[in-house]
Order: sequence, then C-alpha cells, then structure tokens
Amino acid sequence: MEALSLLQWLIDGLIGIGLLWLAWRALFCPELFKAIVLFIAFGLLMTLAWVRLKAPDVALAEVAIGAGLTGALLLSSWAKLRGFDANKGMGAREKNSEQAEQKTKRPFFHGLYAIPLLLMAVGLGYGVLQLTPYATGLSAVVAENLDASGVSNPVTAVLLNFRAYDTLLEIAVLLLALIGIWSLGIRPSVREATPDPVLDLLTRFLTPLLLLVSAYLLWVGAHAPGGAFQAGSVLGAAGVLLILAGWRLPLSLAGLPLRITLVAGVSTFIVVAVLTMLGGAQLLAFPPSQASLIIFVLEITATLSIAAILAALFLGSRPDHSEKI
Amino acid sequence: MGDFLLTIPWAVVLILLPLVGAIACFLWPKKVNQLGLITLGGVFLSVVGLGAWLLENGVYHHAVGGWNAPLGIQLYADGLSLVMLGITALVGVAVSVYATAYFDRSQSERFWPLWLFLLTALNALFLSADIFNLYVTLELLGLSAVALVALGGGKAALNGAMRYLLASLLGSLLFLFGVALLYHTYGSLDLAMLSEQVESTPTVWMALGLMSAGLLLKTALFPLHFWLPPAHASAFSPISALLSALVVKASFYLLLRLWLEIFWPISGSVAGLFGVLGVMAILWGSLQALRQTRVKMLVAYSTVAQIGYLFLAFPLAMGAGVTAWNAVIYLAISHALAKAAMFMAAGNLLRFGGHDRIADLDQLAQRLPLTIAAFALAGVSFIGLPPSGGFIGKWLLLEAALMQGRWDLAVVMVLGGILAAMYIFKVLGYAFTEASKPSKVKTVPVRMEWAALLLASGAILLGFLAPLILPLLAIGTPFDAFSGNEEIMP
Repeated sequence: MEALSLLQWLIDGLIGIGLLWLAWRALFCPELFKAIVLFIAFGLLMTLAWVRLKAPDVALAEVAIGAGLTGALLLSSWAKLRGFDANKGMGAREKNSEQAEQKTKRPFFHGLYAIPLLLMAVGLGYGVLQLTPYATGLSAVVAENLDASGVSNPVTAVLLNFRAYDTLLEIAVLLLALIGIWSLGIRPSVREATPDPVLDLLTRFLTPLLLLVSAYLLWVGAHAPGGAFQAGSVLGAAGVLLILAGWRLPLSLAGLPLRITLVAGVSTFIVVAVLTMLGGAQLLAFPPSQASLIIFVLEITATLSIAAILAALFLGSRPDHSEKI
Repeated sequence: MGDFLLTIPWAVVLILLPLVGAIACFLWPKKVNQLGLITLGGVFLSVVGLGAWLLENGVYHHAVGGWNAPLGIQLYADGLSLVMLGITALVGVAVSVYATAYFDRSQSERFWPLWLFLLTALNALFLSADIFNLYVTLELLGLSAVALVALGGGKAALNGAMRYLLASLLGSLLFLFGVALLYHTYGSLDLAMLSEQVESTPTVWMALGLMSAGLLLKTALFPLHFWLPPAHASAFSPISALLSALVVKASFYLLLRLWLEIFWPISGSVAGLFGVLGVMAILWGSLQALRQTRVKMLVAYSTVAQIGYLFLAFPLAMGAGVTAWNAVIYLAISHALAKAAMFMAAGNLLRFGGHDRIADLDQLAQRLPLTIAAFALAGVSFIGLPPSGGFIGKWLLLEAALMQGRWDLAVVMVLGGILAAMYIFKVLGYAFTEASKPSKVKTVPVRMEWAALLLASGAILLGFLAPLILPLLAIGTPFDAFSGNEEIMP
C-alpha cells in the first residue's frame, strides 16, 4: 500500500515538473514550429494531470480541444505564416533586423519584468496556500437536484440544465469567434492540396472511427464523462482530417446550408428558451419529465454546430467566398 | 393592455432578441440593414418596458432554469442596470442609423452580426448577478469588440485589434482567476450570496486584486490604457463610437458592481489608489489629447482622460456615499452620448475630406455645420459647461469632494475641464480657418450628420433631465448598501 502511494507521488511529481519544463520550453523556444509541438505536448501532459485529479470531463476536453484542435489551429496558422514570409522575402528580412535590434535591449528589460512577475507569483502562491484544502463547492446541492435534471452525469446536469444559460452564451462565443475570423476577409488558399497517400489511407480509416467515437461520447454524456463539447470536438477533428486530405465542401452546400449548420446549436437553445418562457416557466426551465429529451436534442445540435465551427475555424476562410472578395 | 405588457419578461427579451438578430444577420446577409434596425428598435422598446416594470414593482429578479442560487444563474435588474441598458439602447440606435449610411454593402454584411453580438453581451452583462456568467459575457463582449476593430482592415486596425485582443484576454483571465478563488472559498457564484459571506481573508484580497486588475485593464484606466488609443482610433468611426461609449463602460459597471456588492465592506481603504490613478488618467489623457495631430487620436485620448473621472468616486464615496456614485453614473452616461457623437462627427470629417488631420480642417464650420455643431456640443459636455450632462456629473462630484474637504480632487476636476476646453477648441479653431492646401471633398450623407448632432444634443439635454434620471437610478437602491452612509450618519 505504501509502495503504491509512493509510486503515485512519483508520478504526480514527474507530471508537475514535466508541465513546468514544457511550459518553459514552449515559451522560450526560438523556433515557432518547435514551440507549437511543445505546446501540444504540454496539453497532453495536462490531460494526464486532470486524470490524476479525478476530473475525467476536463481531461477529455483538454485532450480534444486544448491539445488537439488548438494544436491543429496553431499549426495551420504557422503554415500560413511561413507561406507569407516566403512570399515577401524583403518583409521577413526587415523583421529580422528589427528583432536583432530588440535583442540588444532585451536582457535589461527582462530583468525589469521579472521583479513584478516574481512578486505576483509569490503573492499568488501565498494566497493559494491559504485556501481551504477542500472546496465548499456545490456537489451536494447538485447531487440533491440530480433526479430532476434529466441526466445522471452531474457535469452534464450543470452544463445543460442548472447552468444551461452559460452554455447558451458559450456556444454563441464559439460562433462569434468564427464570424469574427470570417469577417477578416481572408482569401482561401488557392493551392490544391495533393493528397499524400499515407494521409489519404489514414483518413479513410480514421474518419469512420472518429464518427463512432463522437456518437458514443454524445450518447454516454448523459450518465458518464462525455457530452456535446467533447463529441463536437472529435467530430470536428474528423472534419480537420478531411480538409487536410484535400476534401472541400461542395459549393452548393457552402452557403446557407453550412451557415444553418453553424448556427443550429445556439438556435436550438434559443428556441427551447422561448418555448419554456411561452409555457409560463422560467427561462430554460425544463419540466423534469421531459428534461432528458430536451437535453438530448440540445446536445445533438450543439455537437453538429461545434464540429462544423471547429472545422471551419481550421479552414480559416469562408468556403463560399472563393471567387468573391 | 398595459397589464399584459408588464407580464412580458423584458429582461430576457433584451438578451435573446439581439442574439436572434445577430444570427439572422449572419444567415441572410442581403437583409442586414433591415434586420439590424428592427432588432435595435425592439431592444429600445424592451428597455422602456423593463423601465416601466421596475417603476411599478421595484427590482427585477429571475432565476434562470427555475434554479435558485447557488445552483442556478440569477438575472437581476435595478436602477443602475436600467440606466446602463438605456444608454446602451440609445447610443446603439443612433450608431445603427449612422452605420446604415456609413458602411458599404460588404462592410455592413460583416458589421451587423458582430455589432448585435456585442449588444447581446452588453445587455447580458448589465442583467447578470452571477460572477461566472459575468465572465462569459465578458468573453462575448471582448471577442466581438476585437473583431469589430479588425473590420477596419489595414495595418493600423489589425495591429490595434491584436493588442486589444491580448489585453482583453489577459483581463478576462485575471477575472476568471478571481471567480475561481471566490467559488472555492464560498461555494457560490451569486453576487447577493457572496456579499453576505465575504470576510477579509488573504484569499478574498487576492480575488479582489485579480478581478480589479482585470477589469481596470479592460476599462483602460491609466496606466493600463496603452491598448485603447490605437484600437479606438484605427477602427471605423461608428465602431470607435461603440467601443468608447459603451464597451469600456461595461467593464467599469462590472467593477462598480463587484465593489458595491462584494469588496466594499472589506477594503474601502484601497479606494484611495483608484482615486490616484483616476487623477493621473485625467491629467495624462488630457495632455496627450492636446498633443495629437489627428482628430480620432485626440478623441481616443480624451476617453482615457474621461475614464479617470469615473474613478474619482471611489475615494469620495466613503464620506459622500450616494452623491459620489450618482455623479459617476451621470458622468458615465453623458460621456457615452457625447463620445459617441464626437466619434461620429470625426467619421463625418474623415468622409468629407478623406483625412482627419486637425491642421487641415479647412473651414469645415461653414461646409459641415451640423457636424461641427455636434462636435462642439459634445465638447461642452466634456468641459463640463452648464447646461450639459457632463456639468451635472461634475457638479455632483465637486460637491462630494468639497463636502469632505478633498480640495486636491476638486482642483484636478477643474484642471481637467480646462484641458478639455483646450483640446476641443484646438479642433474647433482649425475648423473655422482656411487650410493651406485645400483637399478634394466628398458629400456626407444627411443621416450621418443628424445622428451625430442628435446624440450630442442628448448629452446637453441630460443636463435638464437629472430630476428624471436620478430617481430611476435609485430603484432598488444599488448604492445604499455600502455607500458609507451608515458610518457617517448613524
């Protein structure tokens, strides 16, 4: 027993030190590409940390969104930046000389920044140590009301019933992020991707598997870790794979049909909100007998929208504006 | 009929309607102007409806999902929320009308969804009483504001937007850190519950520091204002108007709420620091405004200065209580109207001459009289001349300062007014004289001139409306709880 707890200490210690080391390397790595890879590794290790903290829901979200999709977005931005630098050799060279200029000033300013940051770290560390070891939390209240929520997974109950209004706004944030990026009017890359045979084969294998995993996560969310955000990001990852393999949405679907898919999640939420109000109840108050069904409908549309939004974020430009702008 | 109207949950309409509008604008880009204007009209009417409800019934309280605190999210509206919602709707309508003439086809397709998301975030923020939900509204607000700045395209706007994004994200994260600490300690996210429970412990002090720092960064109080001038000056003019008039006020409102509800009883003493920063902001912002050579940069730095006044209330509230808070809200709403008008006027100048160099304003007083009148009227409110909203606000603030013998703050307020007069007259002076090199001119749509003029007149009109607005602000007595009155007058 003692040996086991020693082993756990060892693992936790390694994870903690590894996190700090990866974070440090990712921040101070001069090569952008390396830094991104280190960031993804950081996300994976963070997932392990969440597992050790017995927060499997957060772990799932971290691995799918924190490491997976954020990593993919960073890599695709890196690829675009590289193309930009190669196109404008002059611009890159100017930037280099600017950087060199900045480098001469750096050591001094780094020292200056370090003092307040160190003070802040000490203050925060002291404050965190002062915290009560066990949070008051609302787990007991959630458990008490779980029967009326329509699901048996407390995390899903909070996200889609007790605090469904937060989730409504969060899905709106995700949609807004995409609309914000589209409004920049970036031109889609004209270069047609030539499907690499290995990637092509991998995509053929992985896409059905990802679809299956996504459906499972969506279904299991009602009583175990999983749910719309995780399912949506796995489905979104399938979309990213397809895009990488050179697949594009047919132009006939890239206009209004795509936009409807993107807004379906938040729109369903709004429809449910309006219906509950018209029924004379509070905003987003589900009758316990139908809560299970309502939550399932909300989760299905949310999954579709989240997946579509994440894949569209990866693509970066509006798929229906290829000839316009 | 009247009874029926009072049964409509206006607060919920205020959140859902602009969101529906944003989605509709995204789905049907061909109809954005009509869809947007209808939404704005609906939002304006809903604020009136909510006002009528509040006058009849006192504060509004809605447990979302039927779950009471601490399990669920609570919506809450009192006089303070109502006044902020009202000014948002008013500025929103004017900017929207202005925008229909300002933007071309493809620009308005991109502008409207983002602006309606911004409006959703503002309304949701003013109505929420749950600190995590407030964090979500802050994210919605920050992202839409950054995307709006970036609409300007070009190097300056994209740079400004990037800086703004980083500052805004850092602010949100600091706020979230504070939320986590409070939740960990008290097991609740509800403002009312927290206000009953907080004690002076290191954890609460850390939450106070983190949340205040995050919100000060978003409000751009000196010395955290570095991101504001480039972002506000490089955006399209109607967007600058929205950002300066409403977005910085939203984070200020949130800071004020947190202090009134949670932090005031434990840390009234820190308020002095806010006062010092406020004084520095007034002086630094005004001097920088005076140095600018372009109208929009000048107006942006004037925002930095005007934000300073809002923070003078914190040290004064200890003794003057409600007067100081009333003063500051009056200043905030006058500034919202006047600053929106001024940015619109700057947009008109840009449209007319193709530039906003102050030295080349070439007799605009004769050629764009309505616009220059709008600029001057808005300026009157900043200087604090009677009869304007700015005058009432400054008068109340001066009263609060003199009551406590804070001559230093009174002197700074007067000095800020003189500096404001100097930078306003710098622009007006050039608008009356002939420039050395005449430039080609374009016509400015009538709608754009009138929208600016009407808003500026609104800022003046506020000077007469104090007997009407102060009672509205008192609904639910948002300032009484910890205004310090109990200690001074037992």
